[in-house]
Amino acid sequence: MTRYVLRRLGRGLLTIFVSVTLVFFIVRAMPSDPVSLMISPQMSKAAQEQLMHTYGLDQPLLTQYVLYMKELLIGNMGISFAKRIPVTELIASRLPYTLVLLAVVMLIVCAIGIPLGVYAATHKGKLADRIISVLVTVGISIFIPFMAFLLLYIFAFRLKVLPTGGAYTPPMKEGMAFVADVARHIVLPALALAITNFANAVLYTRNSMIDVMHEDYIRTARAKGADEKRVVHKHALNNALIPTVTVIGMQIGIMVGGATVTETVFSWPGIGRLIYDSVNALDYPTLQGTFLVMAVAVVIMSFIVDLVVARLDPRIKLGD
Amino acid sequence: MQKRKGFLYYFVRNRNGMIGLAGVLLIVLVGTIGPLFIPKPEGYTMDILLAPSSEHWLGTDNVGLDIFAEIVWGARTSLYVSILAMLIAGVIGIPLGLICGYTHGILADIIDALIDIFMTLPMLPLMIIMAAVMGTSITNVALILGIFSWPQLARVTKNQTLKIREQQYIEAASCLGISKGSILFKHVLINTSGPVFVNMTLVMASAVLTEASLSFLGLGDPTTWSWGTILKRAWSQNAVISNPNPWWWWLMPSLCVVIYVVCFNLLGTALNDCLNPKGRE
Repeated sequence: MTRYVLRRLGRGLLTIFVSVTLVFFIVRAMPSDPVSLMISPQMSKAAQEQLMHTYGLDQPLLTQYVLYMKELLIGNMGISFAKRIPVTELIASRLPYTLVLLAVVMLIVCAIGIPLGVYAATHKGKLADRIISVLVTVGISIFIPFMAFLLLYIFAFRLKVLPTGGAYTPPMKEGMAFVADVARHIVLPALALAITNFANAVLYTRNSMIDVMHEDYIRTARAKGADEKRVVHKHALNNALIPTVTVIGMQIGIMVGGATVTETVFSWPGIGRLIYDSVNALDYPTLQGTFLVMAVAVVIMSFIVDLVVARLDPRIKLGD
Repeated sequence: MQKRKGFLYYFVRNRNGMIGLAGVLLIVLVGTIGPLFIPKPEGYTMDILLAPSSEHWLGTDNVGLDIFAEIVWGARTSLYVSILAMLIAGVIGIPLGLICGYTHGILADIIDALIDIFMTLPMLPLMIIMAAVMGTSITNVALILGIFSWPQLARVTKNQTLKIREQQYIEAASCLGISKGSILFKHVLINTSGPVFVNMTLVMASAVLTEASLSFLGLGDPTTWSWGTILKRAWSQNAVISNPNPWWWWLMPSLCVVIYVVCFNLLGTALNDCLNPKGRE
């Protein structure tokens, strides 16, 4: 077990290191210069140089890199060029919104997607299964703006029951009123974002359920007279969930930063939107910070997936 | 020859595959021949936000340009980007996958680790940054898509190669003194081609999705039409929630993206089922 954890930790750190390094050099290859965005022509030459110096932009590239990595080790992600506040603070103010969005998406996927997959598998070839299969094919191919536009058109424009964007209606309310307000705002972005994962969950659950139902131990369980519900839910589903968990888990990790399009369409103030704004503002430190958060999320999620899969399948020993 | 005949036999009888193939052929036709007959929509006219009619099949946008013409030119962009991205991903991914699957040693380990890391990186945000770095032209977008799609192809090639490596005919070829490179490209590559080919169609599907997303975010080529660009313009004019609603403006291009991707996915799945004897029922 210790060896496994150490090896995972090594792989994880390597992924984070590669991601941070890659982004550090890529953002610095951008054709425009962030200083030219921050300073006005009226500033004196000395003031401009002072600004460059404050942000460390007058140093050679490699020195900047070493400095950045050193600061990162003590938890300092630098100061945002655009907002002039520490990146840690900026990300901390955005991360809750992305995490809440993700939580709702995962709730939809697990509470509806997996049961639907099981239903399709146990009714294989019937009309319901065929309809579900068609919907899934469209679902995995969905273009998020398409989904987002349709939802906006129906619920925000035609029916006028849900807001068109943002996370809350200003001014910010207190307590439960705020929660209720956010809940109203989260419905559409969560639905738009959930579609692909939902379809994947149905697809993987259905296919692996069908495979598992042919296994010998299912026949044994039936022969022992276990009732069908118990066979499906206890014996088959446990094993069938392994591919679903793997796919969905990895998706969560990626989605911590990958909801850029959804968050942009719905003006949702999360990490994805932050990335989009930071690219436009040439905000290097914020971009680097968001990628660090994403890389860490991916690494943590893949670790959790391993643990869950090992728990679902006792044959998998994490020590080997 | 026997196997090939078998594949075609099953493929023409696969309904989803046929629908996908028909869709793909239609898109190819529209994207290649369409722009020859329909002039590129440029400038502005007085026919602002007209609903679909016999004159403007899919209506017009806020500067009076014909949306059908924009979509035809967008199909050309989508085809160009997805084919180029698929070729780049193939040129990088397939040889790396072959090496990784066939050889043992440090090089194989490094490629393996690279594939793993690339598969876990958040692709869209990285591509957004890359697009901002390289500047917005459709060739650049295709390059970026190719550079980030190779790990998927490399992994499939690697897994296939691992299987084939143990086959007796490879051992036989090796005993005959045929060089490693020759075995790899003449014997292994040919036999990995089925699943790799399937994955290439899937790469094309996801390339179009990503291209549309990038140009929707404003990182596409401003000098040419793409389905994402049309959507970006509609979005920036609040077309989805404005009254009266120019539904044709935002619905048609996004529907095109979905249809393109669905057709390629159907084709890929059908090819996969027909190449794999288990999936033929």
